[in-house]
Amino acid sequence: MSETAALERAGTTPAPIDPIELEIVWNGLKSVADECFLTIMRSAFSTNIKERHDHSTAIADANGRLIVQAENALPIHLASMSGLMGHICAQFGDDLAPGDIFIANDPHVAGGTHLPDINLAAPVFDGKRLIGFVANIVHHADVGGAAVGSMSGGLDEIYKEGLRIPLVRLFRRGELVDDIQRLLMLNMRLPEERQGDLNAQIAAARLGRRRLEDVMGRIGADRLCRIFDEIVERTNLRMRTAIAQVPDGSYGFTDMMDDDGAGTEDIRIVLKIEKAGERICFDFTGTDPQVAGNFNLTFNATQSAVCYALKALLDPEVPNNHGIFDAIDIVAPEGSLVNCVSPAAVALRANTCQRVVDVVIGALAEALPDRAIAAANGANTSAVFAGIDPRTGRQYVYLETLGGGMGARATKDGKDGVQVNITNTSNLPVEAIEQEYPLRVEGYALVEDSGGAGRHRGGMGIRRILRPVDHTCEFNGVGERFRHQPWGLFGGQPGGAGSFAIETEGQARRMLPPKASTIRLSPASRVVIETPGAGGYGPPAERTETERAEDARSGKFTEAYMTRNYK
Amino acid sequence: MLDSDRGQGWIVGVDVGGTFTDFSARNVRSGAMVVHKRPSTPADPSEAIINGFRELQEKIGLDGTAVDRFAHGTTVATNALLQRKGAEVGIVTTRGFRDLLEIGRQVRPSIYDLQIDAPPPLAARHNRLEVTERVGYDGGVIAELDDAAIDALIEEIAALDGVQSLAICLLFSFINPDHEQRIAAAIRKARPDLYVSISSEVQPEFREYERFSTALINAFLQPEVSRYMDRLQAAIGGLAPNARFGIFQSSGGLMSVAKAAQFPVRTALSGPAAGAVGAAASGAASGIGNLITLDIGGTSTDVCLIRDGRTEIAHVREIAGFRIRLPMVDIHTVGAGGGSIAQIGADGLMKVGPESAGAVPGPACYGKGGTKPTVTDANVYLGRLPLSLAGGGLMIDPEKARAVVEEIAADLGVSPVRAALGIAGIATSNMTRAIRAVSTEKGHDPRDFTLMPFGGAGGLHAFDVAKALGIRRILVPRAPGILCADGLLEAELQENFVAACRATLDAAALPRIVEAAQQLDEAGRAWLDAEAGDASDGRVILSLDMRYVGQNYELPVEFSGDLSDLAALRDGFLEAHLRSYGHADPDAPVEVVNVRAKALARLLQGRADATGPAELAAPVGTTKAWFTEEAAVDTPIYERTGIPVGTVLKGPVIIAQFDATTVVPPGATVTVDAALNLIMELANV
Repeated sequence: MSETAALERAGTTPAPIDPIELEIVWNGLKSVADECFLTIMRSAFSTNIKERHDHSTAIADANGRLIVQAENALPIHLASMSGLMGHICAQFGDDLAPGDIFIANDPHVAGGTHLPDINLAAPVFDGKRLIGFVANIVHHADVGGAAVGSMSGGLDEIYKEGLRIPLVRLFRRGELVDDIQRLLMLNMRLPEERQGDLNAQIAAARLGRRRLEDVMGRIGADRLCRIFDEIVERTNLRMRTAIAQVPDGSYGFTDMMDDDGAGTEDIRIVLKIEKAGERICFDFTGTDPQVAGNFNLTFNATQSAVCYALKALLDPEVPNNHGIFDAIDIVAPEGSLVNCVSPAAVALRANTCQRVVDVVIGALAEALPDRAIAAANGANTSAVFAGIDPRTGRQYVYLETLGGGMGARATKDGKDGVQVNITNTSNLPVEAIEQEYPLRVEGYALVEDSGGAGRHRGGMGIRRILRPVDHTCEFNGVGERFRHQPWGLFGGQPGGAGSFAIETEGQARRMLPPKASTIRLSPASRVVIETPGAGGYGPPAERTETERAEDARSGKFTEAYMTRNYK
Repeated sequence: MLDSDRGQGWIVGVDVGGTFTDFSARNVRSGAMVVHKRPSTPADPSEAIINGFRELQEKIGLDGTAVDRFAHGTTVATNALLQRKGAEVGIVTTRGFRDLLEIGRQVRPSIYDLQIDAPPPLAARHNRLEVTERVGYDGGVIAELDDAAIDALIEEIAALDGVQSLAICLLFSFINPDHEQRIAAAIRKARPDLYVSISSEVQPEFREYERFSTALINAFLQPEVSRYMDRLQAAIGGLAPNARFGIFQSSGGLMSVAKAAQFPVRTALSGPAAGAVGAAASGAASGIGNLITLDIGGTSTDVCLIRDGRTEIAHVREIAGFRIRLPMVDIHTVGAGGGSIAQIGADGLMKVGPESAGAVPGPACYGKGGTKPTVTDANVYLGRLPLSLAGGGLMIDPEKARAVVEEIAADLGVSPVRAALGIAGIATSNMTRAIRAVSTEKGHDPRDFTLMPFGGAGGLHAFDVAKALGIRRILVPRAPGILCADGLLEAELQENFVAACRATLDAAALPRIVEAAQQLDEAGRAWLDAEAGDASDGRVILSLDMRYVGQNYELPVEFSGDLSDLAALRDGFLEAHLRSYGHADPDAPVEVVNVRAKALARLLQGRADATGPAELAAPVGTTKAWFTEEAAVDTPIYERTGIPVGTVLKGPVIIAQFDATTVVPPGATVTVDAALNLIMELANV
């Protein structure tokens, strides 16, 4: 245990550090995390990292507390890195050496949130004294398992989702543990790409260790540790100050997910919040048990969703580090959807995280009416097309995640057709899809009438229409809020539900379930994906004439909708 | 006659910035050089240009007919975008896709802030029209565009209310522009009053959102920029009837006024790009080709990386939240400048910027009502900034600087010197992050570069920034406050061409690639003949956008040799990939996406007069400057014009000039080289 941490446990406040030095060193630490982030981006092999930047980097202290993250780190990754840190300290606290690099991905025994996210962490020493860790995480495009990409719907236990890596050393005192590496690579598809991405992670861990040692060399280990403490404390104070703004009281909210794709429908998420002074407790008691389908959350995935929501509501600029986690209490019954236990399947956890965010915001809406927003599209709608490209004879897999409506706000409408909450990934251009894959995009538009009416209306969902060209392909879709529509706030109306449909000339339109797997699609058919809209805010009667006129003029809303909601 | 021996040899560059309009004039025969500065007139920028030019004429007794070239860097387009003050616009697009421009890439600008949105599209939805037609990925027509559909479209356009300008944006028009062209022709015939921008003409590149967005921005800017260009051309035509009038484009070269009026989106980064070109030219004069520029203005800092004397080019950029896909000098901007305000953040730490005191009220020490401490106030407090700025046009009140610095120091519980050094230090750490973005992020080690500060405040912070990055050498150009205007004098005529050419890089596809390149080469040469007949050294540079099969983004790779040399093309790509990404797979299949050509022609520039004084003039004063918290040191202030070539000075020294200040810290040495640039060595700092 570091000296400063010991002081802290004894309840002694460390002497204040000059706020200027702290800002400059903090900036320097952010630069270390950023440089590691860029190292991964530059040297990784896969498109998912190079262009979608599905990776994160961070620095933690000797107690495994997250201190700084790269500017572009993702909220869900932080949970995973933080989870890993806890496990390292608990399992290897007395057995760490310079040159060690740990690797893990398992949600149940190593703090992960789903298997494709592989974590690396390296301890940093001052002589024999542990100072902290550098950590990074990369979403690998495949980690083995039953389905290509390790993210398919319908898998009902974690063993089917890919290779489970407990917390193990990939490097011991600077030496590669090749036995482990060979075991990993044999179990993953496209091992060359995997190795390329893993090498990028190793390079980033080594660089981060060196850079953190440089900072330590400049200001000294003691001072650096004190600065770590100071960063956590100031962030914690800032978060607690923000929490104090929430009126004291009890709040609650319940929402339901459509289904898990494996037989369970109407999955209930129940939340009660107790707020008193600077403390806030999120209690998920009453939430449904974990499900067979792969929508379960490990505890730290739930924690990341709660922290995301609270930060977005109270203080979006508050830095992401352990100081936030410490300010928030979470009760999540073991074995429930929001704190699952082995062998629960978890690959599609992002959908559930999105819903937890909605539930937190819904619960606090009464307390924070100016900041709350109505329910957003509440999903991480994904579509996978796979088949043999008739132009080349090669197999292809095309995966896309689609945005939808953003909830209406106290002062303005929700944004139309956008990624919301914990996700922010780009679409692929139509001109790229059609060049790369034997598919044709026949429409890309906002779904009319999908924004819930209100004083401020909800954002609109997206409609994407695709048809296979000159071949029959397979379609797999994962959607949510196909039945349980995004709710409105304070009299605002719900947003439109999502849907998957197949249209074939001369035949009736065929609706698909929200978890649509292995659907055969011939060139005579096209699939119409509609993502959910979002809820409205405030009574529709309070919408101004000007705004109503624009709703109608823009063509986003039909006459029937306008009459139904506003007349 | 233009740029020929018959002219009288004056060339004039005018750069319009937010605060000042800068002039730089040079006689290409005598080498005489003169600079001038006057406040900008944002309501109508041409006013300051015309009045400033008259003042310049009076200053040196210049006859307007003696001006052969007039080069202009403009912010009219940038400001119209930032303030969203352009034309009422509409688009015509493929049926089923009118929302594509609104959805964009479906991402939001801030992941945590629920209140920040991307700006709504420039064309309202009711002004976005659809037409039945469809071209496929290979350029083949999937759905015909029939004449009846065009007629119906013309009627729909007639029903639009107040639309002045239209963008035609169809899928796959970069491969087959026929439908876009037919629609544009029909609109032009039926509605000669409307401006029309065609996506395949503005930038015929793959990725529909970026292409449509660029075309729409062009349409949005066209009416206003055209009017401005007409006005300015008429005025300059009266004042300098023999001058070739060139407009500086974001890619780093001059274009004609007619082109600027047709493609105003190309001027979106005109001003900062001119600075980068000026920096490259100043570096060349001192024989230094690898530079990182540091242009510190009032509210922001622009940095740009120059390698082997050439500015790096970016192909996509966002301005005011709108995406533009065009070749542009790769400039990275951060919100830290002389006017950046220091304040205590929500976490109790001191933050500097991005809020700025701007020109009004400005830093407290300007005495124009500013009450918050800024970076400039900190510099004044530290004794680093002489008490008159802009040639004496602006007087500094050090008491006001002291008051605001002491106030924040008291709030922080530190000494005022500590606070002032902290403000400078935090501003420096923000600037350092910008430099990392253009260097380390792109695979360059900043230590291999010379830092070139310019703008009024560049020289104040350069040594701190260099130290933080491990940079050993700083080059301060002879006229750092006016480098953008200087760059305009150095600019070449330039036109960029691009053609989509998607092909796997192999022997079978090579003839197609070579043919596309030859066509562009011919187009470039035809342009040189038409537009640059009187200029010298006309040349066309070809490059290919390449990537590994399966990648989503391309790397531009330039080629000078034999294009049919397959191995050389491949090696060029591997080298670029290695530099950008740190590795390259020699065996993986590579594909070409675009072929590009850049046509360039050199205009007569002459040699700038580089004779300084014969003897070192005595310091004009001494200041007590703080470099550490311990003690202030006596620091002589030299006037830059009083330092002869070859002089070596040891820090601490402050070198003041017309509109810029250079601080040389203790331990550093500074030399005036033959080009009158200052070379500062930091080896002992």
